[in-house]
Amino acid sequence: MKLLIIEDERDLNQSITDFLAAAGYRCEPVFTYRDALEKIDCNTYDCIILDIMLPGGSGLSLLRYLKQDKKNDGVIIISARGELEDKLEGLQLGADDYLTKPFHLSELSMRVAAILRRKNFNGQAVITAGMIEIDTAGKTVHVQQQPVELTQKEFQLLLFFVINRNRVLSKNAIARHLWGDDMDYASSYDFIYSHIKNLRKKIQAAGGPDYIRSVYGEGYKMMVS
Amino acid sequence: MKLFTKYNRVNITATIFVFVIGSIGFYLVLHYVLVKQLDDSLRAEQQEITGFVTQHNELPFIQNTRHQWIEIKPSAAPAIAARPHTVFLYNAREDESEPVRQLVFPIKANGAFYTVTVNKSETETEELLKLIILVTVSMIFLTLLFNYFINRRLIRRLWQPFYNTIAAIRDYRLQQPLKLRHEPIEEIGLLNDSLNAMTERINRDYLALRSLTENASHEMQTPLAVIHLKVESLLQTMERDERSVQQLMAIEDATQKLSKLHQSLLLLTKLENRQFLPNEQVNLTAVIQSWLEEKREMLGSKNIGLIVDCDQVVLPFHQHLAEILVGNLLNNAIRYTPAGGSIKITLSTKQLVITNSAANGSLDTEKLFQRFYKAGDSTEGTGLGLAIVQEICLLAGFHISYHYTASKHAFTIRFS
Repeated sequence: MKLLIIEDERDLNQSITDFLAAAGYRCEPVFTYRDALEKIDCNTYDCIILDIMLPGGSGLSLLRYLKQDKKNDGVIIISARGELEDKLEGLQLGADDYLTKPFHLSELSMRVAAILRRKNFNGQAVITAGMIEIDTAGKTVHVQQQPVELTQKEFQLLLFFVINRNRVLSKNAIARHLWGDDMDYASSYDFIYSHIKNLRKKIQAAGGPDYIRSVYGEGYKMMVS
Repeated sequence: MKLFTKYNRVNITATIFVFVIGSIGFYLVLHYVLVKQLDDSLRAEQQEITGFVTQHNELPFIQNTRHQWIEIKPSAAPAIAARPHTVFLYNAREDESEPVRQLVFPIKANGAFYTVTVNKSETETEELLKLIILVTVSMIFLTLLFNYFINRRLIRRLWQPFYNTIAAIRDYRLQQPLKLRHEPIEEIGLLNDSLNAMTERINRDYLALRSLTENASHEMQTPLAVIHLKVESLLQTMERDERSVQQLMAIEDATQKLSKLHQSLLLLTKLENRQFLPNEQVNLTAVIQSWLEEKREMLGSKNIGLIVDCDQVVLPFHQHLAEILVGNLLNNAIRYTPAGGSIKITLSTKQLVITNSAANGSLDTEKLFQRFYKAGDSTEGTGLGLAIVQEICLLAGFHISYHYTASKHAFTIRFS
């Protein structure tokens, strides 16, 4: 899986590249409009992570160029401008997703995975992590061939853990993933706790090991070897 | 009152006043002139009679007419000559008393004294006056009438460009400077040109300010994003150290808060700049229901009782703003309702009422909608939620109010 990271802020670019590389993707970072154009011309990527404000041009015109060329690369726009119009314009131009800075790397990883599933497996992908099998299309979960009944939020939560397995996820990141930007994070932390408790119970009841552990009560981590 | 009505009122009053004064003056002058004429002819008659008597030393033969008659009466002593004056005499032929101009003077003929009275009827003069006054009054009336209609038509036409300008101003939006036509009438032309120039300037300033806020937003969000991502990366490597993890999480929370704060301020600025238009048909019921769907489990976890009584309401609004409005109010309700309390949502075509159980008495109604107001010792939230709600209501033409009754907070938004 090859990704192109177009982001002029070097620190950001590096963090994104490191994180996604650790998740098993091959990442190529570029920092300017011109370099990005060159890369797009010569290669095909499974997913492109695109900043809107770039030195030398707008990310939106890169997107336009990409779609004119009928390239099938998946595109996630990351922008500091949370403007609704920008978002709508980006999505209208054919971007697959839109993230407003600042975002969580775990969230980005989640979105990348979703796009790759849509593109490469027509959304039919089954993800496995240890004994857990998740059918992302049917939204069903099996542990050792045993079906596990999950609520919608529990399913979202499990998918988030599985995609970001072996990483520490802060409560903040989890809350933002489950309830979006408008959520009042602090008051949702207790709720996350009870959700995770239920999720662990359900997986163990189906015969799975206890994959999710708490990190000093501040975050959570799914351990899958 | 319209300018024209006001103008007309003053104009007509002044015109009538001037005409009345003028008419009275005209009448007096005319009357004076006519009477003087009568007096002159009376004196001419006197001279004629006196002349005849001096020449012939006898009384003349008098031929009386209907309008002039002379009486000569012998008298013991010479009568005292008087100035011409008006008396009312009975006229048998007309059977009414009529004004008569009279001149009395003495003459001496054949050694005897006589008193001569020359009479001239004023009826003719009166009739002439009446006619003249009738003509004058009709002229006044006609003048006023024509004046009124001409003014009405003319002024309406003259003011039309002004009304066009007003209509353009009423529809004015910050995003677009006015492009008013140049009018040939100097005043209106000046007004239009000035307005064009002014809105041009406003638009330029507005665009500059907007790009400043946008750039500021970008410039601030980017370092925040760097902090955010670095913390997240650090979290993975510092996993074994509890203190580091706690500190990193605190940094992450703070970053998140700062970013949210900034976004809220940006939203407020945009609301104040009227960058959104309530020009979509929004199904408010659906907005509320989808929000509740999203947060249902959370309500359950706090053991909050929920009473929802929503009619189907579709109204002109802005989808995104509707979501923010509902989200902010309901988030507050969830946040401040104590566990085991209740939230009630009532939606009708007239109003939306959100009521929730209160933990700590009434909120400060004075400061409630101010920026950065936080109830009591609360540290949660940005303190901008209600300020945003109020701005959204202002923009959409809604009216929001807060009441505290029976240990419950109630927020009421009246549409219309």
